[in-house]
Amino acid sequence: MYSVPAEADINALLGHRFAGGNYRLEHWENVLLTGCTGADLLPDGLAHPVALFHLPITGSGTSIAEMFALGQAESDLSIMIESYDWEIFEPLREEQDYRVEGCIASAERCNEGEREYDRIQFVFDVSEEGRPVARSTITWHYTRNTL
Amino acid sequence: MKWSEGDSIPEWVMPEVSAERMRTMAALLRDPNPLHWDREAVAALPMNLGHRTINQGPLGLSYMVNMLQAWAGPACIRRLVTRFPQVVLDGECVVARGKVTRVSVENGEHIADCDIWLEHAERGVLLEGEARVALPD
Repeated sequence: MYSVPAEADINALLGHRFAGGNYRLEHWENVLLTGCTGADLLPDGLAHPVALFHLPITGSGTSIAEMFALGQAESDLSIMIESYDWEIFEPLREEQDYRVEGCIASAERCNEGEREYDRIQFVFDVSEEGRPVARSTITWHYTRNTL
Repeated sequence: MKWSEGDSIPEWVMPEVSAERMRTMAALLRDPNPLHWDREAVAALPMNLGHRTINQGPLGLSYMVNMLQAWAGPACIRRLVTRFPQVVLDGECVVARGKVTRVSVENGEHIADCDIWLEHAERGVLLEGEARVALPD
């Protein structure tokens, strides 16, 4: 049986800020990423919007592995996705330097019947020279003792 | 282009979800989760999924992105909210579908709010959500 983190430890994640940083989606990366989706490369240097998952995470100075660890995931297999919310104010482009800031906007213990899990929401803001470009909100459930 | 509430968005088909593409995606995302590249790890789960890897959430979502872009243009998406009621497995044929729920004009742009989903012939809706899209003139 896995040891469930203290609820106070989960609640304490609220407001956690990542270091912040920059990210440039290289052409080769966009080619591979777009290929994975089964689509053709977009015209005029546009990046496939699916970049809005990893660009903010990596650009803000964190990683999927660190996000798992922050919520004390019992294993890599134990994370369930509640939702992804991507707001796009300007199209993402290849070879463009973006600034990214990220934080934990919500962290709470949830109980639904016999199911107990921790719900953690990450918010990442992508900008270019101070102009907002996109916002990615990732909400994951950290399941407890389900594996 | 004239669109109105209730119109269907032309579907986008992924004929076979690829385990190899999941592997490439895992590397690009720096995603350590073995569910995306280790069939034995998936088979060991108490979910009866068999020896098939599980598609990354963003990759399943991207099929709906492809549908929207094929319909309204490469820079059309303004917002995308996606939920994940079921997993997508390698080898599956999945179809992205959508329906316009509202058309409006905002700041001179024609905007369509849409329900979107990813569907499997036997398992039903795998992903679902809402999109806000700018329509071409």
